[in-house]
Amino acid sequence: MYTSNEQGIRERFPERWSSCASSVIESIPFYHVDPGSRCLAIGTTGCNFRCRYCSNAYFAKEDPEAQQDRLYSLTPGKLVATAKKLNCRSLVFSINEPTVSIPSLLDVAREAKAAGLPLGCLTNAYTTEEGTEILAAIFSFFNISLKGLSDEFNRTYIGIGSVQPVLRNIRRLAQIRHVEVATPVIIGANDHEIEDMADFIASVDPEIPWHVFRLLPEDEMIHAEYPSIQAINAALESARKKLPYVYFHNFVGSDWVNTLCPACGAVAIERFSLGCGGDKLNRLFCKDDLCSGCGRKIGIARLQSSPVGKGEAQS
Amino acid sequence: MSVAIVDGRGWQNAFDLKTGEKAEAAGPVVEMVRGVLQRHAYPGDMDPQSNRWVSDTALDLMDHYHPRFVFLTYAAQYYAGRYTVMTKEARGGMIADAFREAERFVQRSGVAAIVVGTGDMTQFLGAIDVTGLDGLAICTHWSTRYAGLHEPSPADMQFLREHPHIEKIIPRNEVVGLFGGTAKQALRTPEHLMLARKGYAFKTITDTKKTPVMIPSINFSVPLYAPGRAVSDITGIRQAVEEELLRNNVALIVMEGVGREDFPWPHTPCANSAKWYYYEPGSAQYLTITSGEHRFFDYPAGYKYYEELHETNDYPFSGYFKSVPSGTLGGAFPGKSIAVGNRSMFMHMVAGADIAVECFARNLYNQGTMAVIHRDDKL
Repeated sequence: MYTSNEQGIRERFPERWSSCASSVIESIPFYHVDPGSRCLAIGTTGCNFRCRYCSNAYFAKEDPEAQQDRLYSLTPGKLVATAKKLNCRSLVFSINEPTVSIPSLLDVAREAKAAGLPLGCLTNAYTTEEGTEILAAIFSFFNISLKGLSDEFNRTYIGIGSVQPVLRNIRRLAQIRHVEVATPVIIGANDHEIEDMADFIASVDPEIPWHVFRLLPEDEMIHAEYPSIQAINAALESARKKLPYVYFHNFVGSDWVNTLCPACGAVAIERFSLGCGGDKLNRLFCKDDLCSGCGRKIGIARLQSSPVGKGEAQS
Repeated sequence: MSVAIVDGRGWQNAFDLKTGEKAEAAGPVVEMVRGVLQRHAYPGDMDPQSNRWVSDTALDLMDHYHPRFVFLTYAAQYYAGRYTVMTKEARGGMIADAFREAERFVQRSGVAAIVVGTGDMTQFLGAIDVTGLDGLAICTHWSTRYAGLHEPSPADMQFLREHPHIEKIIPRNEVVGLFGGTAKQALRTPEHLMLARKGYAFKTITDTKKTPVMIPSINFSVPLYAPGRAVSDITGIRQAVEEELLRNNVALIVMEGVGREDFPWPHTPCANSAKWYYYEPGSAQYLTITSGEHRFFDYPAGYKYYEELHETNDYPFSGYFKSVPSGTLGGAFPGKSIAVGNRSMFMHMVAGADIAVECFARNLYNQGTMAVIHRDDKL
């Protein structure tokens, strides 16, 4: 978060981290980035959204000032050294919104690049065009939350007026970086938009992996009904015809977390889901990222320091 | 094959507990357990109804399975006390509610009860920040007294020895020697085990999430309600239960976060320790109770757990457990047995009961419930 005075805008709590833990990349979730690799999951405090169902409200919604005594105080160099010590192949910002901590993340990106570690993030992509370019300079791979399309949904559940900046930024980031999209589905609120969201993603790039989450009632919605898995899954049927990589999870033992070859339907990547950040790789069947059945290319970003390219998550 | 039936609220599936693969489970025990899960949705770790869920679920299982040995855990007061600011009276009220639930279960089921508290809680005074070390300090979020220390530099050792909130730093050989560990067990034991003073908890790089309000206190002994029996050590609880089982159906009840100060039933002190080490609430304490022997080495405090998490994908529903522990009371008991608890996803591992029903909550996020059927041949 930021404050401003005559000297300009500055970050209020630089290099203060709410989370710092070793994790597997599937649990973030990234399903199409270096499967099975370990990452250092980090986060700060605060958010530019006010989602009614925030699963990290403890960090995202509470006053950052009140949280300072419980945060990690780690320099970018220490964060990167820790990632190396824990055999992590990337750092992923995954707790709150990265745009609230840009200066610190620029510093981390510099250190990480020097160490050959790429950065990824979860983001709501509610940024200016300039802000989006800054995110692209920091992060090599993105999971962007597309929460809903209608103004009414975004006003009621998210606290913003319009989704248009998010759509613009998904288009832009998908051109230059690896992008996955995530959508928590709330029955009666945004489930009727599933078809339209699938159309939008397909119009950007049908190879974009789409994570559809069953909403886990939390925060202001903790007393909401658990959405019907069968109903959401049925609503996804037509989306699967437009997008080859549709995943439906955030609940234990999901049947829809494997990557199937878009051409022949063979299982290319087998995963297991415990829901709620507990996903992991089971088996990888696509040697050299090619389907073992028909040889079709499976879109996977590989973590490496160079070269630059959309299929490669460079540091 | 042990079968896990997971109920994610309207989404029920059966899996092979070991492989995590979908299982074609059928039969009267499976159908009975499916029904129990459907009838008892888990309210959540922090919900006041959480302890009621334990009694209701266990009584439902009693009605349909008629076990002779029951293992129960009530933990709502532990979670709420750990993360919610509350008055002493409010906490006392929660503990009283937990015991009322236990009493309701005992009266309704007619079993003989042996009740053990896992230890008092104390105010959290602050974190011992060991994230800046040259080496690596490791503890899980739930452990506060102990942290493992790996590859420390001389500067690390000086900093830690001078730290006012660290009580002791114990070298590996002393830890291994205390429990008579083997060379293989020594390999998984950290180079040093650090001990925090009362009220303090280690803050490590692999730590996560919420800061506690209260944490487990210094609990070299815990309270035990075992009418007519003299049990001086938690390794003796198992024998007491087995002796009672010769005459009665028995419920071994664990009250989380309740120590000698707050235990409302008549009780005697029971050693929860070995010399300088005492058990914190967790799987090692449970295994020690159910096996009748010290179980420090199954998953030793401060070990590099993250390195083992992905060595194998076996037992994906069982947290850091990579095998079913041997020597548990439920596993050895020839009669019917059940376990029900809202403490964590390890009831099915530590109790060894034929059927275990537990909450499926990860980091307090309520995902539903899980039942594990280890034995379906006793119905």
